[in-house]
Amino acid sequence: MSVPPDRGVSRRSFLKGSAVAGIATTGITAAANAAPPPVASFGPGEHEITLAINGKPRKVAVETRTTLLDALRDGLDLTGAKKICDRGACGGCTVLLDGTPITACMTLAMDAVGHELRTVEGLTDGDKVHPLVENFVHCDAMQCGFCTPGMVMSSLACLERRGKPTVEQMRHDLAGNLCRCGTYGRVMEAITRTAGGGK
Amino acid sequence: MTSPSQPRDGVEITMGYRALPGQQEDRLEKRTVQPAAGDAPPWDANTTFAVVGRDLDRVDGLAKASGRAKYAYDMTFPGLLQAMILRSKVARGKLTGLELDEARRMPGIAAVVALKEIGAKVRFVGDGIAAVAGTNVHLVRDAIEKIRADYEIEEHNVDYLVAENAPLLAGDGQIDEPWPEKDAADVEAALAKAAIQHTATYRVEVQTHSSLETHGGVAKWNGNELDLWLSTQATFGCRGELMRALQGKGIDIAALTIHAEFVGGGFGSKISAGVEGLAVCLLAHAAQAPVKLMLDRFEEHTTTGNRPGALMQARAGVDEKGKIVAFDWRSWGHAGFTGSGGVAVPNYYTGDAKVRRDHKDLNCDTDPPRPMRAPGYPQGWFGAELFLDELATKAGIDPLTFRLQNDREQIRQDQWRFAAQRFGWEQGRARQNAANARVLWGVGLSSARWGNLGNPGRPPHGITCRIHQDGSVETRSGAQDIGVGLKTVMAMLTAEELGIDVKLVKATTGHTSDPSGPASGGSTVTPSLSPATRHAAFLGKQQLVELVAKHLGVPVADVDCKGGSVGTTKARLPWAEACKLIGPNPIDVRGQRFANYDGRPFHGSQCGVQMAEVAIDTTTGFVRVTRMFGIQDCGLVIAKKLAESQVLGAMIQGVSYALHEQRIMDKRSGRMLNGDFLRYKITGSQDLPELECHMHSLANGHDSVGAAGLGEPPSVASAAAIANAVFHALGTPVRHLPITPDKVLQALASRKG
Repeated sequence: MSVPPDRGVSRRSFLKGSAVAGIATTGITAAANAAPPPVASFGPGEHEITLAINGKPRKVAVETRTTLLDALRDGLDLTGAKKICDRGACGGCTVLLDGTPITACMTLAMDAVGHELRTVEGLTDGDKVHPLVENFVHCDAMQCGFCTPGMVMSSLACLERRGKPTVEQMRHDLAGNLCRCGTYGRVMEAITRTAGGGK
Repeated sequence: MTSPSQPRDGVEITMGYRALPGQQEDRLEKRTVQPAAGDAPPWDANTTFAVVGRDLDRVDGLAKASGRAKYAYDMTFPGLLQAMILRSKVARGKLTGLELDEARRMPGIAAVVALKEIGAKVRFVGDGIAAVAGTNVHLVRDAIEKIRADYEIEEHNVDYLVAENAPLLAGDGQIDEPWPEKDAADVEAALAKAAIQHTATYRVEVQTHSSLETHGGVAKWNGNELDLWLSTQATFGCRGELMRALQGKGIDIAALTIHAEFVGGGFGSKISAGVEGLAVCLLAHAAQAPVKLMLDRFEEHTTTGNRPGALMQARAGVDEKGKIVAFDWRSWGHAGFTGSGGVAVPNYYTGDAKVRRDHKDLNCDTDPPRPMRAPGYPQGWFGAELFLDELATKAGIDPLTFRLQNDREQIRQDQWRFAAQRFGWEQGRARQNAANARVLWGVGLSSARWGNLGNPGRPPHGITCRIHQDGSVETRSGAQDIGVGLKTVMAMLTAEELGIDVKLVKATTGHTSDPSGPASGGSTVTPSLSPATRHAAFLGKQQLVELVAKHLGVPVADVDCKGGSVGTTKARLPWAEACKLIGPNPIDVRGQRFANYDGRPFHGSQCGVQMAEVAIDTTTGFVRVTRMFGIQDCGLVIAKKLAESQVLGAMIQGVSYALHEQRIMDKRSGRMLNGDFLRYKITGSQDLPELECHMHSLANGHDSVGAAGLGEPPSVASAAAIANAVFHALGTPVRHLPITPDKVLQALASRKG
């Protein structure tokens, strides 16, 4: 699978944001071409960080080893992102980091500091519902619903990046999201309907 | 909505269905049924519906798609502890020592409980040994590592095909053992007389359920009362199971309420609360704090059951007219250390034939099977339907013609013809693959059947219906909606009976404080609870009608409740006005699930047909399912859009079963090698065929609603249809699921040779 140029946190930014940046970058300073990073030390135990989630700053206590997924779910009670495989294999915990879909289970909470996060909760505000979410309901793009929030977020990224995605593009962009009930076809219908302005 | 009137000597109803699109003949029969005293009058083929059968949205769809729905995994409470289970790394042996004290002393640890007694047998890699609860998962994992478990290790075997009583296999995987002698005479005589004979061996691998929400729950004690948010498909079964288990441990428990309002899949694996369900209750009791215990993905693959592997052999014969005259079948199932690896085969092709069937379960040291969406059927249908295609090919008969000649079910006769036309069967069969083509195309078909018309339960299942003075209506069941759409079905039936907009109805499921319902097993829930839902609304309606009659000063018999208003032909109150008469205490009634009507329904089981098209890359051996069509009957179709979702989903799971899924065991350690979603492949968006389905709604006349089960039947046919398409494309069958590229390349090589 080819990696689009605008996709993902680069290795460089990953290392910059890492809790152990001072040590980890020493071997590749030349390659990263970075100024000597500040040596910061956290832990053991929890410390407080601030994450920018759905446009609002949220404080949460994490250990250096806490994943973004655990911080969202256990620390902030944002349980739309699901813990399904905890190994980046199923996409159930997909959130957008600076607009790019990432698996929150494979991201350390600390690495998300300084980035804009969007979670599925941000698509609904009281009675105001994002058209994509409405179309998931209209197209019945769910059964048990456990993969659905992750599917919604990958679908959102697909729409925002591609405007009117083709079937092949949708297949590609949803390839990281597993659904056991078998809702892929109707998820693509929901995306297509949203792209066409349907509600 | 109109219904036949209900005289005391029974009600005449019209059962059956009107001609399928493109067909001519209605299949309707009249029959007189005797509803139980006080039950709602039956709906039938002449009933016109305002709500039922329409394309309405899933009532909890927004909760799910917005991320607001709270599953067991999402529950949290102040002071919630996290928990994990220590699992056996030994496949077979005895627990000889268990040292928990060091774990108890680790930071943040609140409770440690043993799940196995010293001296108890260890049955498979993953058997539960002990459980730990603490402040967070990291600390719990640290503590788990400090538990010392000692075992007396015995030799193990994880391959059922070398277990005791396993059949002898030849080098090519064919069964090398004589057919049993018991009852052999008739079938052998018929075989000897047959014009064409055929024998072959089939095999399927172990598939895991792979529910996305893992097993587990959150337990919270309040004195001697326990609330448990459990990821389950059997709220009442698990309540009984855990009450008995906790009492057996000497724990003072007065009440246990299970909560399962949203469940992230089950497919048959979540009928028992399991060791994790008991462990979380014990830990919360010991810690005197709420505890969450959810399995991780490896545990989900390795300790929560599976669809068993099976080895199957068939021999049969057809006469000159293409009729099956003899059918001999034997199978061996992978039963794990205990359990059933049963296999079912279609019985409607062999009406007049001499038939014999034999099955044996083979035990070995693995996690035992649990029911999985039509237990035994996808295995047996794969073997039997592929065998039938081979037999038909040998006899020079088109597979569809062969089915039409032998299938004794009228419903499916119509479905075969309908599917063939919609799918383009003849064109698909006629398509020629060039001799040197890189891509080979093929089409295949399979039948489906299941038989569940619901049951009353003991004591009888019920549904609560409440009508409030603000016009809102509640319908409540303690049974679970694991994604099939029970809430939507209940809301639609209630709205239909009351003649109101479905948006006024709030359906709630999954709390055992509400009336009981069955487990989501065997496609039981909708057929069992739909007549009870209707009965509850029917009783509520009667009370409202009485209030309105009194208010209007007219006889009760003149008042009806439809089109969003209540009253007579002359004077009517809008629904909201009528409900104001109720006062502060709602109408609160309980509907009952009566027994099915005496006598024969239109059809005792469910029929379906699926067709599949594949494209096979001869260079890589990669099979792609390009197209599938399915038609499925489930009695009265209530929530059409959701019913379609279930059928389409079953087809996708069928692609997965046919092409991708297999549990791979390490013989030496007894451990599953691919217990994660990186190496255990399930169908993803890139594998998705073009799918289409047609819901075949019929009036079955077995209760006041006439709904039949839908969870299992569409999952019976898919893998078989795909395997037959592969056979058509290659010209040689692949008799071993999953049909992975290596097997395809082997088949191609054998064809060239």
